[in-house]
Amino acid sequence: MNNPRRLSSSCSMTNIKSRFTHGFLRALSRINTRKPSTTREICKRFLRVKLAADASMASAVGSRRAWSRAMLLKMRLRRRTCRDSRITNDKKKKKKMSGSDQKEEVNGIRKAEELRGLVPGGESMEICKLLDETAHYIKCLSTQVKVMTTIADFYSL
Amino acid sequence: MLHCLNAPGNLAGNCTDMTVLERQRARMKWQQEQIQQQQQSYFSGSELSGVFSGQTQAGQVAQSFQGLVGCESVLCEAVNRSVKPDPGLENGWPEMGKCEMPIMGLGSCGGLVSDTQGFQMNGAISRTASCPPTVAAAAADTKAREAALHEKMSSAAGRESFKKRKADKFQNTKVVIEDDTKEKRIKANAEEGESKITTEQNSTKNNSNINSNIRESSGDTSKENSKASDQVQKPDYIHVRARRGQATDSHSLAERVRREKISERMKYLQDLVPGCNKITSKAGMLDEIINYVQSLQRQVEFLSMKLAAVNPRLDFNIDDLFAKEMFPASTASSFQQIGISPENSAYLQFNPVQQVVSCCGLEIGINSPDMGLRRTISAPVSIPEIFLDTSCFTQVQPPTAWDTDLQSLLNVEFHQGRLTTPYPSQPFAGNIEASNLKMEM
Repeated sequence: MNNPRRLSSSCSMTNIKSRFTHGFLRALSRINTRKPSTTREICKRFLRVKLAADASMASAVGSRRAWSRAMLLKMRLRRRTCRDSRITNDKKKKKKMSGSDQKEEVNGIRKAEELRGLVPGGESMEICKLLDETAHYIKCLSTQVKVMTTIADFYSL
Repeated sequence: MLHCLNAPGNLAGNCTDMTVLERQRARMKWQQEQIQQQQQSYFSGSELSGVFSGQTQAGQVAQSFQGLVGCESVLCEAVNRSVKPDPGLENGWPEMGKCEMPIMGLGSCGGLVSDTQGFQMNGAISRTASCPPTVAAAAADTKAREAALHEKMSSAAGRESFKKRKADKFQNTKVVIEDDTKEKRIKANAEEGESKITTEQNSTKNNSNINSNIRESSGDTSKENSKASDQVQKPDYIHVRARRGQATDSHSLAERVRREKISERMKYLQDLVPGCNKITSKAGMLDEIINYVQSLQRQVEFLSMKLAAVNPRLDFNIDDLFAKEMFPASTASSFQQIGISPENSAYLQFNPVQQVVSCCGLEIGINSPDMGLRRTISAPVSIPEIFLDTSCFTQVQPPTAWDTDLQSLLNVEFHQGRLTTPYPSQPFAGNIEASNLKMEM
């Protein structure tokens, strides 16, 4: 059962890659219009570039995956609110597990909570679906890293 | 096998006081002593006699190993002993199970390589390896005896399940034996049958390993055996139950299905995340996955910082870039050929480092899966060594001039802790910014 899934995913991964590249490059060209003169401007641009990367990645994946849907929703909400709330959203605190965590099960649950915090939209998922989403998220992240590395290399030449 | 018979119980002790296992251990010891005296004449090695200890029902085992069974005389002798009444055939059962091993060891001694892996039966097999396999006449004789034995077995209360399972096991082993190449499976099968009952006398780890192997290979008995070993391993008692492996309620079925799904997904993730092949525990795997996701996210962050700091090019061509992106190898090669100008030196220094960073981040994540917080502190310290060793770093430039700078910058960045994450990728972004600013000025 895994094999056909992997085959199709590899084809879809190249599609996602090309879509992401297009979207990201366009966003980059919009952002990098002027030379950054101050550190503050660089910081601003950094945030915008990061946002552009996430947005183009989520758009490339589309609504097929729960994590991309959650990410797109978060971004749309961000646009409507002001910047301050965006910063506070980023600093969401994780719940602290109290009590004796001796059992492996509890440890596993704690790790699962941690994973939920990492994967966008993972808060309200059960373990099975969370692992699924994590796998796809990891694949997309790695393609994102590859593309951005190549772009950065190209830029630096 | 001998040392597993060091039972604490007294031989002639009250059966009621001891647990069932102790009883059978005592029996084994006693029988072993008995046989040792008698079997001495058959084999020069005294160890071999130990192998045949408790050979009460050896005969019935022999019949399933046609062509593989060892010395006929010994078996006949052993089978004669089967006439002895056993108070609990339950006790006899494990002995039989135990006898299987040496017999099988005999049987497979023709081509068997003795491997003593801390598996007690293996020790027995290795000892028997020297015995030349004689044949099958013994098997034919012992068939009848096995029938008698089976009758005896069925006489005891609640033994139908036993018979069934024994028959299954025999069938299994029969089928397996005909395939000569699968010697290990033979061993494993008998061991599996034994493990249902005598888990203490064998290393449970081996059992579980072998059981897990068998689980995949043998079809219908797999569930039965796995559940059996699960249940038996907990207490000291030997519970013989009727057919197991059939989920009795929907809850356990659903639970099992869910667990299988989760394990399947974990396996898929194990393939995705590099360096997770050795980790078997779920918690460790989750740890690795979490670290990997975190490292990927930080890489993205770091790369976006880098892209933000880069000078925008006015002659920016998307299609051109796209082509370059699709063929990253060409860019890498051209990158190395370009002459190093002082303006770009910062980038050039940075890039191979950054490539190493991505490897580093993963390696560090993999090497210390259990150190969550500690890693963040130790990672920057280990980076300089890694960078000094990387070949890609040395390809671009002679490293000597940059090493000290890099190390000092690293230390500075580590102490400052400017960016959000303390991962190895962090220090360089700050360096690049600083160097960019310097260049531009």
